[in-house]
Amino acid sequence: MSRADETVWEVFARKEYEEPLHHVGTLTEDDEDLAIVCARAIYDEQPWIEMVLVPRPEIREAIRA
Amino acid sequence: MTTGRCTDAATTTMISLVGSLADNKSALGRRYGEWAVSAPTIESAVAAAAMAQDELGHARSTYPVLAKLGVTRDEETLDPGHPLHAIAHELPDWASVIAANLVVDGILTTFVASARESSIEPLAQRARKILQEEGAHRRHAEAWTRRLARAGGSDRDLLATRIAQMWTDAARWPGPDDHAGYGEAIDQGMVSEGPAAIRGRVRSWLTDLLDAEAVKVRLDEPTGWGEEEHR
Repeated sequence: MSRADETVWEVFARKEYEEPLHHVGTLTEDDEDLAIVCARAIYDEQPWIEMVLVPRPEIREAIRA
Repeated sequence: MTTGRCTDAATTTMISLVGSLADNKSALGRRYGEWAVSAPTIESAVAAAAMAQDELGHARSTYPVLAKLGVTRDEETLDPGHPLHAIAHELPDWASVIAANLVVDGILTTFVASARESSIEPLAQRARKILQEEGAHRRHAEAWTRRLARAGGSDRDLLATRIAQMWTDAARWPGPDDHAGYGEAIDQGMVSEGPAAIRGRVRSWLTDLLDAEAVKVRLDEPTGWGEEEHR
């Protein structure tokens, strides 16, 4: 099953309020709710206090070397 | 499982409900876990594994509530005991997993919500923790229901069939609305609402979800209680 057309989400999280959000990985999922459920399941190795998802198509590049 | 003292009708009812809740949580955990290697996508496989872990944790934390109700369990295992027939064995297809996620998890979680302020304090404590984690399960069930409904054809038809089958079994779980012991449990603050109210909440949620996708499933009130075992 090709998933080339599905949305890729960039996942960011942090463990302390004093820390910035770090990029922790990606996942592929068209449905926003499933993306949230899956991100929590896949990236649960740390006691995060915050996790956010950004759909890759919404990212704007300022620099690309 | 043995009881160590004479119990009133309310306590007897709660022993049945809490014991069965744990049995069904354990069975749900197994059913989700079996699909952790064969879900349609790797993301959903991981989500199924996480839900399995949650459900087995809920079962493990719920069984000790029975001790507070005067019951000694014969074995401290995660043997699923006597779960609903619908989830007693491996589920045949992904639509069944989603239907169990929707209907069985929905009925059990709605019961747990009715125990959030229970006068049985260990049950209230567990209820609050369980409800935190069940939010993700509900989101998973709703999203997959929309996806299967929008896929159309046999996927949509099978989903409707599986939801109807799960409802037939799971809607009976709380029991008849005029059950005397359940009424006494409400009067004593052990739970906040009865069987028909629980079914009504789940029916209302499912109807809104399914109507939005034009999926037609009958969610009738169970009848013919008699002396038959319903959980």
